[in-house]
Amino acid sequence: MNALLPLWSFVVRTSVKWPILQTLAPFVPVVALWWAVAAWGPFPPAFFPSPPDVVAKFISLMEKGILPEYLGDSVARLAIGAAVGIGLGVPLGLWIGLSKGAHRALWPVLLFFQAIGDIAWLPILIIWFGFGLTTMTFVIVYTVLFPVILNTVLGVRSVRIELHRAAQSLGASPARIVGEVVVPGALPNIMTGLRNGLGYGWRALIAAEMIVGTSGIGFLMFDARRAGSVTEIVLGMIVLGILWYIVDAWILAPIEQATGRRWGLVTQ
Amino acid sequence: MKSLSLKNLAKTYFDAYKGEHVTAIRDVSLEVPAGEFVSIVGPSGCGKSTILNMVAGFIPHSGGEILVGGAPVKGPGPDRGVVFQSFALFPWKTVLDNVGFGPKMRGVPKAERDAIAREYLALAGLSHAADRYPNELSGGMQQRVGVVRALANQPDVLLMDEPFASVDAQTRMTLQDELSRIWEERRPTVVFITHDVPEAVFLANRVVVLSKGKVLAEVDVPISRPRVWDRLVADEQFKDLSNQVLALVRSA
Repeated sequence: MNALLPLWSFVVRTSVKWPILQTLAPFVPVVALWWAVAAWGPFPPAFFPSPPDVVAKFISLMEKGILPEYLGDSVARLAIGAAVGIGLGVPLGLWIGLSKGAHRALWPVLLFFQAIGDIAWLPILIIWFGFGLTTMTFVIVYTVLFPVILNTVLGVRSVRIELHRAAQSLGASPARIVGEVVVPGALPNIMTGLRNGLGYGWRALIAAEMIVGTSGIGFLMFDARRAGSVTEIVLGMIVLGILWYIVDAWILAPIEQATGRRWGLVTQ
Repeated sequence: MKSLSLKNLAKTYFDAYKGEHVTAIRDVSLEVPAGEFVSIVGPSGCGKSTILNMVAGFIPHSGGEILVGGAPVKGPGPDRGVVFQSFALFPWKTVLDNVGFGPKMRGVPKAERDAIAREYLALAGLSHAADRYPNELSGGMQQRVGVVRALANQPDVLLMDEPFASVDAQTRMTLQDELSRIWEERRPTVVFITHDVPEAVFLANRVVVLSKGKVLAEVDVPISRPRVWDRLVADEQFKDLSNQVLALVRSA
């Protein structure tokens, strides 16, 4: 056993030095199993491509410029959804959270429209806007917007009354209280809303691209189905997973770490 | 520093669920001259926190007058600093920015308000904690910041609502020693709400005993200053006064 300790120590030191290894390591058995099943050969390669097939497809689509273009389109749509979702959802959420009247009037309506999930809008959107960018943009903005609004409202209402009172008795005007107390107090919830919204939005976008798209990763995968290229479909699935991991681990998680957790508003 | 006077203060509210009017404060009159430290004690439900919330302007009063330096109170304002039982520090601001919050709201430039905040932090022996966040501090340290944040805004009257009720007994005595020292240095006008009789007597020039929304008695505390627990623990005058107030509270 003792002979293994230096090896273990090496693994720990390497993974501290290269955190990416910790992320990738769990995928080693997954890929190995996939590869083994493909090599064992119960399915024809056209139905069940092996890892090297997918890598080759990735290289060829990169060289042709199709993958970068489609990926760019999907990410740009996600970014627009995020921007509009934040730009519209946060102010609306603050207003509804702070105004009792607005809350009474709008909360049931919000819950109603949130329940009509994203692609349930597609049939009517196709009639109104046809196949294309407007419909896709509507779907992603719609999907991002509601979780952001609803969570912002919850965040605003979770700020303890003592903090409002403390700010008031230190001379803060209502407008300053919004900026100094309400927004930072609601920030952990706003981040949760954004995370959920983008997560749902990303799925909705791929679905919308499959049905009404003319570009994007969803379109790539659905188009590959017509051509019968399972390799391209699998590649699309992998790209989706990796992309979401990047958005979550490299953008959303660090923001949460630097705000709510640092302030003790979110438990580790 | 300014005086605080309550004239026939009353608070009734309508309990919509029970469908009846409830009287929280019946008729309270109280004069706190500028620079005096007054403690208000009383059993739970006697209305002591309601009085403080009305003086702070957090809730409206339904009868009588609240005057700070002769001017009537209309809503919350920076002339009345408040120290809360739950500390109520801003978790997203460092200790320095918490203490500098009042000056910031007055439009004091960054460098100047940082200097003010550092001066007041030094007063409470907190200089080393300036760049930390509230959740990184112990309860006792957080409430030191709470007191200093209120003082740094230079209020006319300082209102303290059971500020040491949620810290452990040892820390509480240290905080009482420190508050006593700071009061002797700066002489603010203080209204201190507590249910802890020795605490009320230790800190105050005068203890007001409240019962069922009315003033039951006022007891002067002529114990010499500076007051520190090391001396007062065995002080006969302190014991006598504490027993006297305790008897009043128990009869309330």
